[in-house]
Amino acid sequence: MLLPSFYDFCCRVRTLSGIDTLEQIPRQLARLRAAHPMIVSDKGVGAAGLIDKVVQAMGDGLKIGAVYDQVPVDSDYKVVDDAAKVYRRNGCDAIIAIGGGSVIDTAKGINIVVSLGGDSLLAYEGFGAVNRRLRPLVVVPTTAGTGSEMTLVAVIADPDRKIKMLFPSYFILPDLAVIDPRMTQTLPDFLTASTAMDAMTHACEAYFCLEKNPLSDSFALRAIRLISQHLLEVVKNPGDLNGRLALANASAMAGIAFSNSMVGMVHNLGHTVGALCHVPHGVAMSIFLPYGLAYNLGKAADPIGELLFPLAGPEVFAATPKKERPAKVIAHIRRMNEDLHAATGGKHPRCLKEVTGRDGSQLVPRSLLPAIAEATLLDGARLTNPEEMLPADALPVLEHAWEGTPLGR
Amino acid sequence: MHIERYPELKPGRKWIKRFYLSIMLWTVGKAIPVAAKVDKEIKKELDKLPDNFTLRLMILPERALGPFFYAKMLPAFVADKGLLPYGMQMIIHKDKEGKLHYQGADPRGKKFDLSMAFKSLEAAMMVFTFRESTPTGYAHDRFVVEGYLPYATAFMRVLDIVEVYLLPKPIARLAVKRYPKWSEMSPLRKHLNRLIIYVRAFTF
Repeated sequence: MLLPSFYDFCCRVRTLSGIDTLEQIPRQLARLRAAHPMIVSDKGVGAAGLIDKVVQAMGDGLKIGAVYDQVPVDSDYKVVDDAAKVYRRNGCDAIIAIGGGSVIDTAKGINIVVSLGGDSLLAYEGFGAVNRRLRPLVVVPTTAGTGSEMTLVAVIADPDRKIKMLFPSYFILPDLAVIDPRMTQTLPDFLTASTAMDAMTHACEAYFCLEKNPLSDSFALRAIRLISQHLLEVVKNPGDLNGRLALANASAMAGIAFSNSMVGMVHNLGHTVGALCHVPHGVAMSIFLPYGLAYNLGKAADPIGELLFPLAGPEVFAATPKKERPAKVIAHIRRMNEDLHAATGGKHPRCLKEVTGRDGSQLVPRSLLPAIAEATLLDGARLTNPEEMLPADALPVLEHAWEGTPLGR
Repeated sequence: MHIERYPELKPGRKWIKRFYLSIMLWTVGKAIPVAAKVDKEIKKELDKLPDNFTLRLMILPERALGPFFYAKMLPAFVADKGLLPYGMQMIIHKDKEGKLHYQGADPRGKKFDLSMAFKSLEAAMMVFTFRESTPTGYAHDRFVVEGYLPYATAFMRVLDIVEVYLLPKPIARLAVKRYPKWSEMSPLRKHLNRLIIYVRAFTF
């Protein structure tokens, strides 16, 4: 492998993983000199009983300062400011985030405001604004996919300007990530499938995009192996705690990988259909992943071919000639999507036309594809994709992804 | 210990590299407003930027060169011609009517909505000598972006097209991810626009 002439890698999140790790939070918080944390979560997590589970597991060792469970699906800075007031009013000294990507990003935002002072998160937008150590932040992910517990950026919306603000800083990294499979045990099968495919996309893109580096590669390969080995089993048997633990670990590893090597066109397309049509992120990732791999075969066939080893195992890898490996990787991902579709009773969509909203209506009308293709130019993930993708190139990809047909060369 | 045996080493000033980069920034800065008039795709990209918008491309550290130190004392209408490398930077302003103006290299009194800064002289040399394309430079952390990232991606797309116009094909191929195919940019359009950009950017 040709080493990059420069790369930047940082991961310093202490990680506790295992079936009874929630119980260790009070001790770890005491080491961080905090005893009065605020819990940040959302209504869904609360309704699933996960907040109670964490509080119960922590026992009497900790006095909870406040519980803020009003985080919406697409969190904005007003929620952050509101929660920061609750934090201050109750005299808290740390944050425990229990939830998926939105909750974790909101908790990172709250931590910025309560640690650096001020009333609003808006003052800290952009690079370099968060420049010193923040209060202790413990993250307990309840989905195995976003990898937010390992990333150094918080993405929070500004509804007034209709933009998503980025808060990138090494100080934003949580102090502790607690990976306990009990947290993902109640996740419905179709969400398990799409979030795990999100993690799979993080790992694959981290491995073949322009910012790849040897450290992130090793995390990406192991993450792909774990997802490929365990995903279908977990979807068929939701109580499989070892499988759940493997997926949660894979998600964290994929998070480390993509946080340090960035993503490419799959995220570019996914962000755009997410913004314009409200397609859930994990669903968009699982649909676009085979197309992203196929589109980049011209420039990145070698790294894509290497993914066959973790995806299909050493026997298949060894039995496949080198030039056939990339095509087999794409076929394997497509087959995974088919298997997940069958295992979830059709709730895991395979193409854009199958994506429906809660009321059963189609989320992505075919007529919107040209507008989506045009909007892909504005996303930063475009830059790190190996192959150039202009709107004229994105449109056929979107059309194939809408129909579910393979991308021709 | 004989201290005279260990003389203080002074870093070179790298005058040739500084001169080369100043010329490159000046050329790109002069060419972009003209290219926006002749090329529809560049205009479409720049239309995404709001009006009354100032952007700059610069090389850190930001400081005036020694011999040009007295540039600070010159009135703005002289410095705005862009002939004085006040540090190495290129400033472009989009006015209220949506017209673009090259505003030279003098940052005094200007507020920047988007700023792209190469981290060092050598980082800028990697990209401006086309040993690294702009996206590879981005991936290798050669520059930092301050401002709204979608505007930066639009500006980088503009840079790509301008490079295709300004540079001969063998060099431009190194600078961009994919050199435009005939279907995307016909040779007639390319050569004609190239001629217009060169003539208009550097004559009046």
